[in-house]
Amino acid sequence: MSNFHLETKDINVWFGARHVLKDVNLQFPNNKVTALIGPSGCGKSTFIRTLNRMHELIPGAGLSGEVRLDGQDIYGEAVDPVDVRIKIGMVFQKPNPFPTMSIKDNVMSGIKLSGVSRSDTADLVEVSLKRAAMWNEVKDRLSDPAISLSGGQQQRLCIARSLAMNPEVLLMDEPCSALDPGSTRRIEETILELKENVTIVIVTHNMQQAQRISDQTAFFLAEDNTPGYVVEFGETQQIFYGPIDPRTNEYVNGRFG
Amino acid sequence: MSNAQAVERPKNAEPWTKLGPKVKIASIITIALPSSIFALTLFVTGIDFMAGLLTIFLPLQLLVGALAGFYSFGRRGIMDGLLLVATFFLSLFVLVLLTSVLWSVFEAGFRAMSPHFIYQNNVYVSGQTGLEIGGVGHAILGTIITVGISTIITVPLGVATAVYLTETREKGRGVIRTLLQAMSALPSVVAGLFIFSMLILSGWSGYSGLMGSLALIPLMLPTISRVAEESLRLVPADLRNGALALGAPAYRAFFMVTLPAAKSGIVTAILLGIARVIGETAPILLTVAFANGTNINPLEGGMTTLPGYIFTFIILGDQTSIARAWGAALVLLVFVGILFAAARIASAPKKAKKRSA
Repeated sequence: MSNFHLETKDINVWFGARHVLKDVNLQFPNNKVTALIGPSGCGKSTFIRTLNRMHELIPGAGLSGEVRLDGQDIYGEAVDPVDVRIKIGMVFQKPNPFPTMSIKDNVMSGIKLSGVSRSDTADLVEVSLKRAAMWNEVKDRLSDPAISLSGGQQQRLCIARSLAMNPEVLLMDEPCSALDPGSTRRIEETILELKENVTIVIVTHNMQQAQRISDQTAFFLAEDNTPGYVVEFGETQQIFYGPIDPRTNEYVNGRFG
Repeated sequence: MSNAQAVERPKNAEPWTKLGPKVKIASIITIALPSSIFALTLFVTGIDFMAGLLTIFLPLQLLVGALAGFYSFGRRGIMDGLLLVATFFLSLFVLVLLTSVLWSVFEAGFRAMSPHFIYQNNVYVSGQTGLEIGGVGHAILGTIITVGISTIITVPLGVATAVYLTETREKGRGVIRTLLQAMSALPSVVAGLFIFSMLILSGWSGYSGLMGSLALIPLMLPTISRVAEESLRLVPADLRNGALALGAPAYRAFFMVTLPAAKSGIVTAILLGIARVIGETAPILLTVAFANGTNINPLEGGMTTLPGYIFTFIILGDQTSIARAWGAALVLLVFVGILFAAARIASAPKKAKKRSA
């Protein structure tokens, strides 16, 4: 047994016959933020989707290796993907609030969708929206449709929706790529607060963001139609200021990618 | 803090509608010149309207349109002008066709129309009976019953088929899709004959409303499932993924997220399905037969539906019967109109409240 909260062991991914990710071994300690960086098409998003079994929903997807949550392989034989996704929440690149539901219903949607029974649902809307730092903006219009919010608010609503499930791990796939600097800053502040209770994995293209919020960083790379792999993984400070691999150095200093 | 103050919208806040004198003059000439020349020619020579429309008005209008386009925008305006005239003329053509069909139904149908025409049946009616007795009440009920039963059976089947095609990755999808396509080309009389030979000729059942409903199912199913499939396909994958990532089992994600998002499309599918079969005559005549009296028991005895009524009376050939057939056509038309309007209102997406500033 390891003492890491979440850990991957020799993750390999295929789409059809194409090998897209090779031997990824990463460790995500309790209540730390891990940033996944690398150029487009290197498999970061694919990798993050393997961590809560969203990967298998893509037609033609293939996988080998293990993802261990508290030492248990989430791809084990008797494991229900639904239980995995309740424990490991996910925020997508594009805000995707449910358009037919109100702001309030969106926050509660996870509870209803997953069918988990919870005793503390009374003020769950308020608590979740406060954790996502948007309660004050929306407290007077909770019954408005979620799509009436701005893009940044929609994304924070999606974060609140995930937080209402009280996940142990939160996966974020470029959550700020469609947002303005103000919304980005608020989401970053939210991430730093969440760190107290949640293990966070975030894909980002923004080097400054990775430095601001993450404790450790993994650099992914895929060269010339070969599978993506982890070039270097370590403390964020070390990856940015003392990378061992020259390619990491070039990437974090903006010389390619 | 000095926030910007909101100002009332000026009357003309649409600068793109200001066209400039050149374009204005050209537009007026394009509209007024060919039609006045055409009117004058008609008046002077007394040429046939349709012939004149095609030989004088249309070429003239195209020419003037092209010239006006050239005058306003230079060479690229020529094509613009021609296309504008052609589009306008063709739309008008279709509009006239459609209106004349509707108009002829209304005009001919109104002769038979009266309150009792809506609720009476046609017991005691013969070719000699005047229009003051008899009506389509029984046929309206017959249509509601047969189409209603087949809708109740077909909607779950059709939507379930659409779900199978869009939400699963089963291997049978290609075959099912091909079969649906083939089914949509099935002549309705064949569907009627199938039920007739399998269930009625074999003595399993007599003519009845239910037999008619069964014959309508294979006609309705492909329409409903194909349109429903399209509307489910339009629901963004992001929404499904969002629901699944929250730990939703597939069925809950479907019922709580995907289906509500596709609601108006599904309603359209049902409407088109009903529209496909509500005017069907052949399968109905083969399976429901005909009745002069009112029969609301779908399990036993013949019924009349509106298309069946129209068919029966139009071939009787005498003046009052033909008037009755037109009347029934009008009732069917209005019936479908009301149905569609109601469903459209019911399925309209709730208007998003105004975004607070």
